[in-house]
Formats: sequence, structure tokens, C-alpha cells
Amino acid sequence: MSERGTSKAISRRARPQMSLNLTPMIDVVFQLLVYFLVSTNFAQGEQVYRVDLPERKDGAASDPFRLDEEPLRIELLPAAEGAVAIRLDGPWPQPGDFASLEEFLRSRRLDADQPQGLFAPDHPIVVAPAGKVRWDQTVDAFNAVVRAGFTHVSFAELP
Amino acid sequence: MSRVFRRGPAVVEANLTPMIDMTFLLIVFFVLVSRISEVENVRMELPKPEDPATVPPPEEGRVVLNILPGADGAAEGYRVGATEFAPTPEGRDALRAHLGGLFRQNPEIAVNLRADRSTAYAEVAPALEAVSAASRESEMPGAARINLVVLHEERGPRRP
Repeated sequence: MSERGTSKAISRRARPQMSLNLTPMIDVVFQLLVYFLVSTNFAQGEQVYRVDLPERKDGAASDPFRLDEEPLRIELLPAAEGAVAIRLDGPWPQPGDFASLEEFLRSRRLDADQPQGLFAPDHPIVVAPAGKVRWDQTVDAFNAVVRAGFTHVSFAELP
Repeated sequence: MSRVFRRGPAVVEANLTPMIDMTFLLIVFFVLVSRISEVENVRMELPKPEDPATVPPPEEGRVVLNILPGADGAAEGYRVGATEFAPTPEGRDALRAHLGGLFRQNPEIAVNLRADRSTAYAEVAPALEAVSAASRESEMPGAARINLVVLHEERGPRRP
């Protein structure tokens, strides 16, 4: 009994056990994990609209038999109490809000279901806000056009 | 001095090395990360349209153009990366030149435009024009790609 004990003690002294202390690494990893979990939530709410700015006018080869389509202008004018008035350029019914603007555009879109539609999905549409119009109202108008299924939407320059 | 404690009484002390390791790591990490996010993600109220037809922002090749919100719909300036430009004609020219340089380096980049919801369109339009003019001047193929950044919240199924 005592012999076995001493031999064990000797062997332990001869080959010491190496062990790595993992605690700090785990600490750090958990900290980073928590940080990333928390911080990635902040940016998640941001999404983007893709805008095609008007192509440059010179240099591009154009088909002489294809007439330039007259773009549909959606003008946004400031109204009382921070509201906005929507005005369609042309003989169209004037929508009162962005939902009815979207409805109007959707009902005039040319596609397989509506062969009598007036505007092809790639018909150029110009959102022309006045200088005082707030940016969120501009984005609302843009959103209405994009949701109605049109792909060529641009912003007008200021007058 | 006793036989048991030859070097005096035993002292209990915490090993501070792991904590210091960790703290340094976190400091370095926050310094690196906060610089990027603070510069590019200026605090502002982004527009939040209803049922937005948006896509998640593309990860690669982007430049963030912030329109710094000022009082009463005005803009305090424009910021691309860490460079700020004044909302004056000279500032806008400098912005255009700066963007032109970026387009020449990489014609594929898209410009993420962040503007506060209360900013007047009169302050946003020059930024749009600057991007458009910069892409024209740098003779890149095709037009510049602009992404309008808005807030998007998941709220049930979309309207058809």
C-alpha cells in the first residue's frame, strides 16, 4: 500500500501534467459573442431601394425608330401642416394619397393581365418633389411607384 | 516566523491577467468597430414607408453617402466615409469630385444614400445630382447605382 503510494508520487513528479487554462479564452469568446448578437440587431432594420438614375444623355447609341417615351411626372407639392399634395402631370385623375397613387399606377400598368394598360413596366416615371417636401414623403411616393410594378423610376432635378 | 508559513502569512490575491487580456481585446475591438459604424451610420431618423418594396442592402462595393440632418429640414452637410462636405455649391463640387475619384477606382460601387425623414428634398436633390454627375464624368459604363436607405420593419404579410 505504502509502496504503491510512493511510486505514484514519484511518477507524478517525473512527468508533470500540462494543462492549458481555457477560462480567459472562453471569457473573451463569450464577450464577443454577446457583443455581436446585440450589435447585429441594430443594423437589421435598414433596407434599400435600388434607384436607376437617368442614363447619361450623350454617347449612348439609340434606336432612331424608337421614340423616346414621355415620362410620367409625379409632382409633390407642399401642402398645409406638413402634408403633401400629389399632382400627376397630364389628364389623369389626381390621387389624394400615396395608396391611391399606387392604385392608379397599378391599374394603368401594361402586362399580361391588363393588355389595355397604358404604361409598360419599364415606362420612365419621374418623381418631382418641390424643394420643401420632406424626404420621407419623397420616399413614400417612390415606394408607391415601385410597389405598382414599375422599374424605371428617377428623381427630377430641382427647378 | 512559523515552520508552516516560512515566508510569512499566506496572501490571497486574484490573478488579474485574464481580465486585463480581455479588457484590452475589447478596447481594441470597440475602437476599430465604433469608428467604422459611427462614421457610416450617422444617427438619424430614416424614412419608414409602409409596406416597402425594398431589398436587403448589398454587402459589397458600397459607399455610404450621409446627409447630416440639421434643424428644420436643412442639411448640416454631406458625409462620404469620413470626409465631410459643406452644403454649399463649393461643398457639392468637392463631393462630386470625391465621388468621381471613387467611381474611377471601382466603377461597380453603389452609393447608399441615407437622409433623415425630415430633410427637405432641396437638400437631397443636389446629392443625387452629384452622384449622377460624378458617374458621368468618370466615364464609367452605365449609370451610377444609388440605393435609398430606409427603415424596414417586419409587420406581418405584405399587401398584394
